[in-house]
Amino acid sequence: MRVSLNLIKKYVDLPKNITNDKIAYDMTLRTVEVEGALNVGEKFHDIIVGKILEVKAHPNADKLRVCIVDIGEDAPVQIVCGGSNLYAGEYVVVCKPGAVVVWHGQGEPVKIEKTKMRGEESFGMICAAEEVFLSDFFPQMDEAEIIDLKGIDCAPGDNIADVLDLNDTVLEIDNKSLSNRPDLWGHYGIARELSTIYNVPLRKIESYDIDKNLPKYNVEIEETNKCSRYVAVEIDGIDERKAPIWMQAALVKCGLRPINAIVDITNYVMIATGQPLHAFDKTHVDGEKIVVRNAKKGEELLLLDNNSISLTEDDLVICDKDEPLALAGIRGGKKDSILPDTKGVLLEVASFSATAIRKTGKRFAEKTDASMRFEKGIDTQRVDEGLSLALTLIKEIFPESKIVKYNDVCPSATKKNVIEVSRKFLNERLGKVISDDVIKQILTSLGYEVTLDNDIYTCVVPTYRSTGDVTIKDDVMGDIARILSFDSFEAKPITITLEHSINQRKVLLEKRIMEYLAYRCGFYEIFTYPWIDEKYIKAAGIDTSDAIRLATPPAPELAILRKSLVPGALEAISKNLRYYDEFKIFEVSEVYRKGDYRPSSNDEILPVQHKSLTGAIVGKDAKKIFYELKGVLENMARYTHMEAITLEKDEKPNWADINAYLSIKLNDEVIGYFGLLNVKTMNECKIKRTNVAMFELNLDSLVPFASRDNKYERLPELPLVEKDLSIIVDEDVNWEIIHQTIKNKVKEVEFVDVYRGNQIPEGKKSVTFKVRMINEGSTMTMEEINEKMASILKSLEKRCGAKLREE
Amino acid sequence: MKERLEEIKTKGLEKIENAKTLVELEEVKKDLTGKKSKLAEVFKNMGSLSADEKKSVGMLTTEIKNVFAEKLSRKEEEIISNMSVLDRPIDITIPGAPVKSGALHPITQMRNDLNEAFASLGFEVYTEDDISSEKYAFDNLNFAKDHPARQSMDTYWIEGTEDKEGAERLCLKPHLTGGSVRYLLKHGAPARFVYPGKVFRNETTDARHERAFYQYEALIVDKDISFSSGMVMIQTILEKVFGKKINTRMREGFFPFTEPGYEIDMECLVCGGVGCKVCNHNGWIEVMPGGVIHPNVLKSAGLNPDEWTGFYINIGLDRLVMMRYGVDDVRLFHSSDLRFLKEFK
Repeated sequence: MRVSLNLIKKYVDLPKNITNDKIAYDMTLRTVEVEGALNVGEKFHDIIVGKILEVKAHPNADKLRVCIVDIGEDAPVQIVCGGSNLYAGEYVVVCKPGAVVVWHGQGEPVKIEKTKMRGEESFGMICAAEEVFLSDFFPQMDEAEIIDLKGIDCAPGDNIADVLDLNDTVLEIDNKSLSNRPDLWGHYGIARELSTIYNVPLRKIESYDIDKNLPKYNVEIEETNKCSRYVAVEIDGIDERKAPIWMQAALVKCGLRPINAIVDITNYVMIATGQPLHAFDKTHVDGEKIVVRNAKKGEELLLLDNNSISLTEDDLVICDKDEPLALAGIRGGKKDSILPDTKGVLLEVASFSATAIRKTGKRFAEKTDASMRFEKGIDTQRVDEGLSLALTLIKEIFPESKIVKYNDVCPSATKKNVIEVSRKFLNERLGKVISDDVIKQILTSLGYEVTLDNDIYTCVVPTYRSTGDVTIKDDVMGDIARILSFDSFEAKPITITLEHSINQRKVLLEKRIMEYLAYRCGFYEIFTYPWIDEKYIKAAGIDTSDAIRLATPPAPELAILRKSLVPGALEAISKNLRYYDEFKIFEVSEVYRKGDYRPSSNDEILPVQHKSLTGAIVGKDAKKIFYELKGVLENMARYTHMEAITLEKDEKPNWADINAYLSIKLNDEVIGYFGLLNVKTMNECKIKRTNVAMFELNLDSLVPFASRDNKYERLPELPLVEKDLSIIVDEDVNWEIIHQTIKNKVKEVEFVDVYRGNQIPEGKKSVTFKVRMINEGSTMTMEEINEKMASILKSLEKRCGAKLREE
Repeated sequence: MKERLEEIKTKGLEKIENAKTLVELEEVKKDLTGKKSKLAEVFKNMGSLSADEKKSVGMLTTEIKNVFAEKLSRKEEEIISNMSVLDRPIDITIPGAPVKSGALHPITQMRNDLNEAFASLGFEVYTEDDISSEKYAFDNLNFAKDHPARQSMDTYWIEGTEDKEGAERLCLKPHLTGGSVRYLLKHGAPARFVYPGKVFRNETTDARHERAFYQYEALIVDKDISFSSGMVMIQTILEKVFGKKINTRMREGFFPFTEPGYEIDMECLVCGGVGCKVCNHNGWIEVMPGGVIHPNVLKSAGLNPDEWTGFYINIGLDRLVMMRYGVDDVRLFHSSDLRFLKEFK
């Protein structure tokens, strides 16, 4: 919303010498966010009024004229102009050298210089409206038409900003910050805030006494819930004349386009008081009757451009005896237009319910200046302010006009809220004691009626704040705090009671796991969206029958919410393969599936949700990345201080390779899966020429240790004896069996590698490992060592059919 | 004889000086002081000399021996101090071996920093699930029945529940604030906790707008605290993020779940508050909303508003991370693009 300080100054005298920036700052801190303060007149420097004394032909150009112009200086000047409407005696707008214009209303601003046009001297230029930002005042019919100031009070040399009342500052206010303040949608409300901020008096709005004994205009309100007041005034002697310049200027500065005097008056009253008004051509209201009702099924409203909008039974309309004239509080139709043959109007000043306007406005996806205001909830008393100001202005601009009929129907007037606020409450919540005088002064200035009795303030809230804005004592406290400025309260330290320190083991475990993956294992954390492209869900073979879906997804293929983090990781892998062929990624996020989960109250049944962890290693060597990721999982518990997870072959996840998958278990319960991606999944995700090892587990099921659980082991007094051993076994003998066989015979066993090759018979493999041994109390002798090795080999022969590999 | 000894001495010292390696030096040592050395020969042939001569030659040879020994040990020291473990000099400009490390997401890093700072003030960490309901996301938070945020244009509703109401109408959580009531219902008051997390809004995306973004919210509920204590929480966040004290201002703001509500601006770091393009020429940048918890919200959490009060602050981590590093496109955070993520190692 734009606020003109000239208009504000009609109602309040701001402190002398205060800068516009200061006003903007004070309002931003206390009332609404001022996004900028624009000096409107600035751009009109060196743009002045000129009077054409003589128009001569140009010796060298048919379309150009040479004008002799009085610009208020000692001697007239010569200006060359191509205008189509030049005549001697015409008052025009002249840009002197130094002025800045925009050629034909487009492109970058250009500085005017003294020049020669086709050999003739030209001191500046005579302007068209578009070139000097004045199209709103002087709608331009053709390109060559220059501004004719006929009928406007001015003299040669006058600055055009003075003539058109454009020397003003306009504050641009963020509409969002106004959304809860229906009282601020007009200048008078803003003036009231400024009068409170600067503690200066607020003048009353123009008053007008209407003769209550006039004949009644017929008004019927069927929907009293949606229309709480309707004032209709029939006025004769209204025509299509233009509004005075000052009013046009006020509208232009606030972003509205002047049309004709009666429409401009309604708009001006709206920006001044916040009360929208409407004027119907009285002859268009058939049956001299206004009915405020819901639209009938199939009814339409014909618009000015001859299009029509179809209405529903929910829409509130203003009708004559037969049909709708306007969509209440939102927009008019063709029948309400003021036309050249208009002789009189029916003026509507009404209150419509915020909810009804919002609902209808939403369906037509249309916000108008009127609907934006009604949506916030305007009090019925505002009608009086709007009406008084409107009738004052009509009398001024149409002195011969006459009010012939009148009616004021008010099914329910806005009631003032009454709120009791204790001194104690204010002192506590504000954190300091504010004097009664200051409290009373602030609240009274904002329009409250305040009485103090027994340490209780009884605050009668003004109607314009009683439509939902101020309802509880906290609201009153907020008003006091903001006017004093939040910044004026000293920051109070937060005290800490040392009952116990924060010890959230699960939170810490999650952090440790993430740091383990990132900083020890080289994974990059990714964020993906909860909605996943179906393509990847299908590729991962995830059953979607119990998946949750969005009602209005970002795109049709993104309706399914993730049950697993695997599909999102697949997408990330596929995308990153454009730039990298080896990398590691992981994600921690929630996954969801249908179910019965009640985290907070019994009436709320949510889908089952838990945090999941997925990780993937991408690389060409499938075997290598499989073991690498297996190592990451096997060592996770040790490095992150949680109960150990184990890996066991169990059910195969759909995305895994038939030869390389394991279940991740915690105390015999499956909490996740690990394996290589199978070819089908990779093909469907366009993951080419590489391999992926992947895991996913339920992060919520991991159990953190209360503390680290490993025990200190006394250091051995004697060195360990280390021996390498290579054995040859059948292909189907796996490491697990070999390990089981020897692990109790020695102190440590360490796998080294598996070898197949020339010296190894077909169908067999060589397995190499290290064993470390120690004797309690004495150094192992050569015999003892040989004896131990022989015993190990014998067991391996017996359990695994192993033979020592001869060098 | 004397001349010969002098010659042995001069030549010997020369040899020692010319030795380049420890092996060479060892050779020289053997040559000069060993059993077969010239000096030893002189000693051996001394029998033919007079007693006087014997005495003076003896003294001289001993002196030469000592000179050799001292020179040898000094030379050895010299050689050792000039020795290298390398056969030949290496190219020390070749890059060092990389440290292989991944990285946490820059937003996670920021979250962890803030969690730590708040933990020191006694704040717990809480996480609300992603899917919530209208009751917890709106009703409990004093949102008007026809508040625009309840529309599907703004919030992602779950299929099959979109036309229901309250606890039965489910959505992806559109803000974090709903979690505050869940925590308070579970743990009661007094309470102080942070609840970072992702929120989801039905928006058209561009460099400044996302559908999923990360927020960080903190709430303190206690008796007899004034709203101005919120300033401390704000300073905690900003000091942690920017590493220095940041000037802030609190100004009027409106949110359904606060009364009074305020917006917190920080002085623009680019221009130092003078006004520049980044801050839209007013010297201040809006960083976070906050406010005193609305009595109706306390009631939803089963707390008596006459007894308890508290305040919120909420901060958009995406925006803060963008300011911290100068990131110019918010969509990068959810892009999984490793080229981007690798910058935050």
